[in-house]
Amino acid sequence: MAFPGYPPSDHLLGDLGLEAEAASDTSARVHIPATPMVASADGGVRAGVLATLVDVVGGSIAARALRPNWMATADLSLELVGPVLGPYVEARGRLLRRGRTTLVVEAVVVGVDELGNDLVVDGRAADAVAWASMTFAVLPARDVATAGSTLPELPSRWSFTGRGLDLPILEALPVTVLDGPAGRLSIPARPYLHNSFGAVQGGVVALLAEAAGAEALAAARERDASDMVVTDLQIAYLALGKVGPIVSSAQVIGAGTDGPTGAVVQLHDAGAGDRLTTVVNVTAVPVDQLLGAVR
Amino acid sequence: MSGSGLDEPGPEDPRRHVSDFFRLQRWEIPGDGDGDGSTSVGGRAPVDPHQRGPGGGLRTGGLLTNLDSLGGFTSGLSVLPQWIVTTSIMATVSELAHIGPLGFRADVLRRGRNSVVTSLGVVDEGAGDRHVAAAIMSCAVLDPGEMLLSFERPFTMAMPEPSADPVPPDQFFCIEPGEGPVTRLRLEDRLRNPWGILHGGAIAMLADEAACRAAMAAGPGAVGPNGVAATDVVLHYLRPVRVGPVEARCDVLGTRAGRTRVRLAIHDVGSDDREVTVGSVTVLAV
Repeated sequence: MAFPGYPPSDHLLGDLGLEAEAASDTSARVHIPATPMVASADGGVRAGVLATLVDVVGGSIAARALRPNWMATADLSLELVGPVLGPYVEARGRLLRRGRTTLVVEAVVVGVDELGNDLVVDGRAADAVAWASMTFAVLPARDVATAGSTLPELPSRWSFTGRGLDLPILEALPVTVLDGPAGRLSIPARPYLHNSFGAVQGGVVALLAEAAGAEALAAARERDASDMVVTDLQIAYLALGKVGPIVSSAQVIGAGTDGPTGAVVQLHDAGAGDRLTTVVNVTAVPVDQLLGAVR
Repeated sequence: MSGSGLDEPGPEDPRRHVSDFFRLQRWEIPGDGDGDGSTSVGGRAPVDPHQRGPGGGLRTGGLLTNLDSLGGFTSGLSVLPQWIVTTSIMATVSELAHIGPLGFRADVLRRGRNSVVTSLGVVDEGAGDRHVAAAIMSCAVLDPGEMLLSFERPFTMAMPEPSADPVPPDQFFCIEPGEGPVTRLRLEDRLRNPWGILHGGAIAMLADEAACRAAMAAGPGAVGPNGVAATDVVLHYLRPVRVGPVEARCDVLGTRAGRTRVRLAIHDVGSDDREVTVGSVTVLAV
């Protein structure tokens, strides 16, 4: 959400061109242009970018529902149904449950045109191309002092404006591959990637996990990571990554009938005593197994 | 809100049926003694013939029942004298064919004031400890009230004996026969946990069965020569199931490369039809 001081002018959310609208007190929509800079091997928007999108839509619903309290993402799941094509992609979220200590949101992702209208296929609105769910932990207002928690009103529409991405998003972060087969990749914890707590944003965490899982699974299949399409992310956020660099490791699970598809990725804050910050289950499939598949 | 991991009442208690059905053995793995409250529990369960699904191994609903039991129990031990209720589980199943027995391990990753996060791993001991599945479970910490929570530590529980009269999981969990996008479960008392609410494993098995039926009805691209089998599952337990019957309503989101995505909402029909669980199941053509 656009708050005084957050995000800063040079920030990933601005470069993604993110625009949002709170449709009601319990629903919101957020969209971004589907540019080649955020595409995966199948031409669709990559899972980590969609995780960023749904995290923002969930956060905006949670912020409105919980005021004056604040929240932190506790878990996030995302699964792709098909290639997420543009020209724009939109996450539409709705509140499922508000409890005393947690709040649950689900979201679907759809393709939309420049005006935000649903794409039409065979005379009807195109189906959702991804489904997501999130749990947010409620943070009592007395315990936090973020920009958003102190605002008298939350905006119903807002946008993040930046220069746009002029290179692929993993290079923009940037992600550094230390040991691909082991899923050891790294990102800095710099302000460009921060959330409102001054830690690495949850969507960026998803992008690193996506890249780490793809590297490890590609190596297990003796393929290139750029051939892999991550289709599922199941993320548990355990601690904030504030110091950096944030370093991943991955363990491939199973053999699969057509090769392994699953990996468990862990992220550690190397500058904070190697503290475990995140655990992610990643599913990835080679693009040639997806192309031409029946929808 | 679902299972509590607390499903080891006395042998005469009908609730023991859920725990015994999948014959899950458990043992606490002693910590390193640094007093940080870290808790780990191991488990082992056979894959009995009547529990195998079209994928060749333990049905994913059964796998999740064991994960729910083990993860919930592990989370509960970590917050004693308080206890927990499961709020969500996210599982990825990478192998559907199992030789068995299956080995389980649960490790508490984070223990907070209000919640516990536990990671779970499953290996096929009969296949050289090949990894089968991984899961992450979140639980809310609660006051157990007058529930007596006393365990000999380190805790151990032997593997239950095989059933003399085995029935398939859908029958055991009182899932009514049917087809299409809506599947119903009768809430019998033996499916309740000690809090009196429907066991999380029963919800997981209902999700498995309902999603597979919905995928079967979705069309030929979703069904393989041996049918369908559930793999990855995400479940958010929003509210406890107290009355029943319980209905899983499925929406097939689409099929790609033999993987059908099913979004489901589970309702407690007898409790003003309230929505109790929302989640998704990936169904594989096998």
